[in-house]
Amino acid sequence: MKLPSHRPAAAPLDRRRFLRNLGVCVALPALESFLPRRLLAATATGAPLAATTATGAPLRTAFIYFPNGAIPGAWWPTGEGTSFELNRTMRPLAKVRDQLQILGGLTANSAVGGVDGGGDHARANGVFLTGVRIKKTGGTDFQAGVSADQIMAQQIGLLTPFRSLELSCDAVQNAGTCDTGYSCVYQHNLSWSSPTAPMTPEVNPRLLFERLFGAGPRGERQQNLLLRQQQQRSILDFVLADSRDLQGIVSGRDRAKLDEYFTSVRDIEQRIQRAEQSRVGRAQPDADAPAGIPAGVTDYVRLMYDMLHLAFQTDSTRVATFMLAGDGSDRTFPDLGIADGHHFLTHHNNKADYIEKVTQIDTWYTTQLAYFLEKMAQTKDVDGHSLLHNSQIVYGSGNADGNRHTHENLPVLLAGGGGGTLRPGRYTQHAKVPVTNLYLSMMDRIGGGRALDRFGDSTGRLAHV
Amino acid sequence: MTVFPPPLGPPRRLVRSLVIAACLLPLGAAAAEPIVETFQRDIQPVLKKYCYDCHGDGIDKGGVTLDAFKDAAALRDHPLWLRVLKNVRSGIMPPAEENHPLPPADAEKISAWIKRQAFGLDPTKPDPGRITVRRLNRTEYRNTIRDLVGVDFDAEHALAADDIGYGFDTIGDLLTLSPMRMEKFLEAAQAIVAKGVPTDSRALTEQIAVGQDFLTADGTKNGEPMSFYQERRVAHRFRASAAGDYRVVLTAMVDGRTNPDPGRCKITVTSDGREFFSQEYAWHDCQFYFDERVLRWEPGEHEIAFHLQPLEPPNRQRDKMDYKILTVRVLGPLDRQDWLPPTNYARFFPRDRPPVEPAARRAYAREVLSTFATKAYRRPVGAATLDRLVALAESIYQTPDTTFEVGLGRAFVAILASPRFLFRVEEAEPAAPGEPFAHVDNYALASRLSYFLWSTLPDDELLRHAAAGTLRPHLRAQVRRMLADPKSAALVENFTGQWLQSRELGHLSLDRPLILAREGITLPPPSRRNPVRTEVTAEQRAAMQREAEAYFAHVVREDRSVLELIDSDYAFLNATLAAYYGLPAETAPGAEFRRVALPADDPRGGGVLTMAATLAVTSNPTRTSPVKRGKWILENILGAPAPPPPPDIPSLEDTEKKISGRTPTQREVLALHREAPLCASCHARMDPLGLALENFNALGLHRTQEFGQPIDAAGELFTGESFKNIRDLKRILVTGHREEIYRTLTEKLLIYALGRGLEYYDVPTVDAIVARLAAHEGKFSELLLGVIESAPFQQRRAAADSPSPSLPPSVSPSLPPSVSPSLTAAPPAPAPR
Repeated sequence: MKLPSHRPAAAPLDRRRFLRNLGVCVALPALESFLPRRLLAATATGAPLAATTATGAPLRTAFIYFPNGAIPGAWWPTGEGTSFELNRTMRPLAKVRDQLQILGGLTANSAVGGVDGGGDHARANGVFLTGVRIKKTGGTDFQAGVSADQIMAQQIGLLTPFRSLELSCDAVQNAGTCDTGYSCVYQHNLSWSSPTAPMTPEVNPRLLFERLFGAGPRGERQQNLLLRQQQQRSILDFVLADSRDLQGIVSGRDRAKLDEYFTSVRDIEQRIQRAEQSRVGRAQPDADAPAGIPAGVTDYVRLMYDMLHLAFQTDSTRVATFMLAGDGSDRTFPDLGIADGHHFLTHHNNKADYIEKVTQIDTWYTTQLAYFLEKMAQTKDVDGHSLLHNSQIVYGSGNADGNRHTHENLPVLLAGGGGGTLRPGRYTQHAKVPVTNLYLSMMDRIGGGRALDRFGDSTGRLAHV
Repeated sequence: MTVFPPPLGPPRRLVRSLVIAACLLPLGAAAAEPIVETFQRDIQPVLKKYCYDCHGDGIDKGGVTLDAFKDAAALRDHPLWLRVLKNVRSGIMPPAEENHPLPPADAEKISAWIKRQAFGLDPTKPDPGRITVRRLNRTEYRNTIRDLVGVDFDAEHALAADDIGYGFDTIGDLLTLSPMRMEKFLEAAQAIVAKGVPTDSRALTEQIAVGQDFLTADGTKNGEPMSFYQERRVAHRFRASAAGDYRVVLTAMVDGRTNPDPGRCKITVTSDGREFFSQEYAWHDCQFYFDERVLRWEPGEHEIAFHLQPLEPPNRQRDKMDYKILTVRVLGPLDRQDWLPPTNYARFFPRDRPPVEPAARRAYAREVLSTFATKAYRRPVGAATLDRLVALAESIYQTPDTTFEVGLGRAFVAILASPRFLFRVEEAEPAAPGEPFAHVDNYALASRLSYFLWSTLPDDELLRHAAAGTLRPHLRAQVRRMLADPKSAALVENFTGQWLQSRELGHLSLDRPLILAREGITLPPPSRRNPVRTEVTAEQRAAMQREAEAYFAHVVREDRSVLELIDSDYAFLNATLAAYYGLPAETAPGAEFRRVALPADDPRGGGVLTMAATLAVTSNPTRTSPVKRGKWILENILGAPAPPPPPDIPSLEDTEKKISGRTPTQREVLALHREAPLCASCHARMDPLGLALENFNALGLHRTQEFGQPIDAAGELFTGESFKNIRDLKRILVTGHREEIYRTLTEKLLIYALGRGLEYYDVPTVDAIVARLAAHEGKFSELLLGVIESAPFQQRRAAADSPSPSLPPSVSPSLPPSVSPSLTAAPPAPAPR
C-alpha cells in the first residue's frame, strides 16, 4: 500500500488553472486547491483514495467493445514481451504502442455454447463484462449478472457527478428476433447493474452532452442544468412516495419491476443531491453541443469517442462502457466500399475476399480507437501526466474467431498506464485465463471497498499486468 | 407389475415392449395414476408404431426419447411434450420421407392426451398465465401523450429504444427502466408540460399565416413567391375577437439571383382595403425584411392584402426576381383586459379563471388534478395520492410571481413521471373462493383493449363504461367501435411492422447496383440531366412498408379471411410503389393506396410473402438469401421454426471449383447443404421454401434469370407436396396448411396483445381460437375476438406470483435448465445421423 506523499512531485495545481490548461470554460464559485485537500484527507485516514492515482489524479476505467471478433492472422502481433511488432489490424495504433498491453490467451468460458446450443452472439455480448452464463430465453425471465463496470461504479460512483456512463453506436435496433433463442436485450446492452437490470446505453452524442453539461447555448447551459435539476427535485418526493404505495399492492415479479423504477429514481435524486452539495461547480467544456447523430459512421464513432474523452477530462465519471456495436452487428461500410454486412462477412468459410474485407473492418475499428487513445495521450491531467497514463482501458470482443464462434484467445488489449500501476508496451501470453481475472486486477486498482475474491467465472487475478 | 401385453409381431418388438414395461415403475398396491394408465393404453401404441424407430429402444435421434419414463412425474415433462406437440401438428414428425404419416385421429389422440395428462390442463379452466407489469413502450408513450396532453412528442429520439422479445416490443419483462431511461422520462415529462400546458389563464392570442396562405382572388396563386414583374394581389383573413389594437408583424424576403437585376416593385399592404404599409423594393440576392404596425380593429374578420405593382416593364427582366411573403403574425387584442384563454386551456382547466381564495383554489386544484390523474393513470386516483399532488401544486403556486397554472403544471409533471403513468398497473376483481383465476377489473380491461387496438390510453367512453361496470356486457360493441376509430391504425402499423419486420426497412442496407448486376443490369451513372438515384429512396421504403399496412388494414376492416394474408388475387398499391414494381402508372395513380385486382397469371400474386417489404427484409445487402427467406416462412407463417445451426459447421468448399467457368446460382450453392447429412435435416425444410421466391431479387423485383441462368423455383414442402413456383406454394399453404397458419397468427397476435411469451398452458387457449377460425373460414374478427375473449386477456392468476396450479412439484427435464419451455422456442439442433 503506497501512501501518497505529502508533497507531490508536481506543483499542486489549482482547479481553475487545471481546467484552463485543458481548454474548458470555468464557472466556479471559488478558487479551490485540488490536490492538497485530497492528500490531506488521505493522510488523515491513512487509506489510499479510491479511483485515484498515486499522484492524486482520478483513475479512469473504460471498457470498449467491438463486435464479431477479429481475424486472428492480422490481429496478433509477432514477437513477445517488450519486443513485438504490431500486425496489420493494430498498425493504426503505432503512435500509442508503448501504452498498450496486448493480452493473448484470455477466455470467456461462460460464452461457450455447450448444452445451450446456438446463440454465440448474444452470449459474446452478454458475457463479456459479466462473466456469467446468461439465461437462454426469448424474453421471459431473462437474466445476466452484474457487469464489472457496475461493480466499480458501486464502489466509486459517488466520487463523481455520474456513477458511470454507458455509450453505444447501435442507434437503430432490429425488429423481430435476435440471436437464436436469446432476447435482443443481451445484444443491445453491455453493462448490467443487476442480473435483470441492463444499463441502457446512450446512442445520441447531443443527448449525452446535454446530460453531462446541460442544454442550450454555451453561456446558459449551467443554469439550464441547475434549473432542470431543481424542478426535478420537487417532483421526486412525490414519485417516490407513489412508488412506495404501489410496492405495497403488487407482488412477485411486478414488485421487481417497480424496484427498478424506485432504484432509478433514487439514482437521479442522489445525483442531484451530490450536485447541490458539491462546493466545486461542474466544469463546463468550451465546446458546443453536437448537433445529433452524424450520418457517416466514422464521424459518429469519433464523436462518441470525443464525448467519452470529454467526460473523462471533466471528471464527470471514472467508469464508462462503450459498445461500438452489439455482437452480431451486420453493419455495412459503404465508405470502405463494403456492401455486405459485417456479421455476414465474418462467416467467411475461408474465402479470401471475405477475410480481406473483415480485416479492413477490424482495422477501421482500431483506427477509431487510435484516434481516441491519441487524444487521451495528448491531454494533460491534473498531475502533469496524460489522461491516458491515468486510465485503464479495455478494448476487446467476446467472440474470438467470428467464423467459428470461439471464445478463447479473445482479441483483447489493455491501454493506459493505470496511473502508473500498469506496465504497458508489452505483448503477453496467458494460458487460457478467464478475462474476468483481468477485471479483478482492474478492480484492485480502483480500490474503494472490500476486494472481491471472485467475479463471474474468474479464477484469480491476472498476473504480470 | 403392470405388463403391457406384447402385440404380435417380430421378436424385436416383443423385447422392446418388455423393456418398456420394465422401465415403467409399478406403483405397487396403489392404483396407477391416470397419466401412466392412459399413456400406456392410448399413447404408447401409437408411439411404438410411428416414433420408436428413431425415438425409442435406445435410439434418441435429435436427443428425443419417448420410451424411458421412470414414473408419473417423469411423464409430466412439459418441454418435451410441447416439442412433440409442435412437431406433430406442423407435420415435421414423422418425417415425410419415412412415408409413414400419422393418421389425423392418432395425432388428435396424442394432442388431447398431452394437454389433459402431460400438461395437466383443465380445458374448462384455461390458465391465464402471468404478465409482468408492462411499462409503456415508445409508441404507446407517444400516443398516450398525444391523447392526454395534445402534444406531438418525438419519443423516437427523446426516449431510448425498447428491448424486444419474441419479436415484439410489448413484452413486460423486457420493458426495463434503467436510471438513464428514467432520466429521459423525467425530462420528457418536463418538456411535454412546458409545451402543452398553458402557464396562465389569459394569453395574448397570436395568429400566424405564411406566404402560401395568402391567395389571389381565384385561389390559383399565392404570396410565396411573387415575381417583381407581375402584378398580383393576394389576401388572407384574420379574426379579431374584440375591439382593440392589434400588432401586425410582417416578415418578407427579396430573392434574386447573384447578378443584379433592374427589377423594382412597390408593395402596398392593406387592412380591409385601407393601406397601412407600403414600400418599394429593388434587387437583392437574399434579403429579409421585418416590419410592424399596430392596427385598430372591430370584432369580426379582417382581410390583410398584399398588392405588388411592378415598377419596371417585363422586358427588362433578366432572371428570377421574387418578393416572398414569409409570415404575417397578428397579435391581439393587445389590451390585457381583452386577452382570451390560450388554446388548450379548457382541456386542463374547466373554469375560465382559477379562484382567488386559498381554500377554493385548493379545492379547484384537487378537481383539476383528479380529472387529469384519472385519465393519466387509467383508473380512479386514491385520496392520499391526490393530497400529495395538491400539496405539490400549492407549494409551487404559492411562491411569488407564480401562476396557479404553473403550479398545477408541476403536478402534471409529477403525474407523468409517476410509476402509475409509466406502468400499466392492473388490479383484479376478487376471485371466487377456491378459484385460482380472477377477472381483471374493468379499468384494467379498458386499458388492455385500448393499448391492444389503439396503442394508447382508454378514451372517455371506455372509462365511462369501466366506471359503470358496463364494459364486459358491451364488449363486442366496444371492439367494433374501436376498430372503426382511426386510432386502430396503430394496431395495423405496430403489429405488421413487427410480425413482418417491415420496421427494419428504414435502415436496411440494399445495394441496388450490385443486386441488379446479378441479372446483368447495369445502372447508368447519375448525371445532371438524368439524376436517377441509385439507392432505394426513403420514399420507396416508406411505400413498401405502407403496402403491408394497407393490405393488413383491408383484411381487418373488411373482415376478410386471414388466409388472404398469405394468398389472394389482389394487392394494395400507390403510384410510388407501382413505379417501383415497374407497373404502368395507370395501375394505381396517386399517393393513396388502393386495391388493385391482379391478373390470373401474375407471377407474384397477393399476400405478404411476395411483397417487396418482406422480400427485402429477408435478403442480404447484395443478394437474396433463400435460407433467410425459408426460415422466415417457417417461423412467421407455418409456426415451425428451424433449429439453430450446430456449433461446428464444417466449411463448405469453394463452390466455384465445382461449377466450372461461371458463378453458381443460389440453388446450386445451397445444393451442397443437402449433400451433407448434418445440414440436410434442417435445410431440406428451409431451402425449398426460400428457393421458391428466387424469382424475386433482394429489392423485391421480379426476375427470370441470375447470372444468365434461368431461375428454377420448383421444390417440395417438408410435408411432401411439390410445387412449381411461389404461386403454387401459396395455394398449397392456404389449402393444405390452414391450421398452421391460423395457429401461427394466433400466437403472434396473442404475444403482441398480452405482452408475454406463450407457455405450455396456453395451448388450449390457442387451440380454441384456431377452432374458431377454422369454423368461420378464417375471418379476422374471429381471431381478434378470440384473443380478446380468451382467458389470458380477460383474467389473471388470483395470487399474482403463483405458478400454474397444475404444475407438479418436480419435473425431470430432458432439456437443460437454462432453456425455458415456451411455445415459441425452436427445438435444439438435431444430433448428426
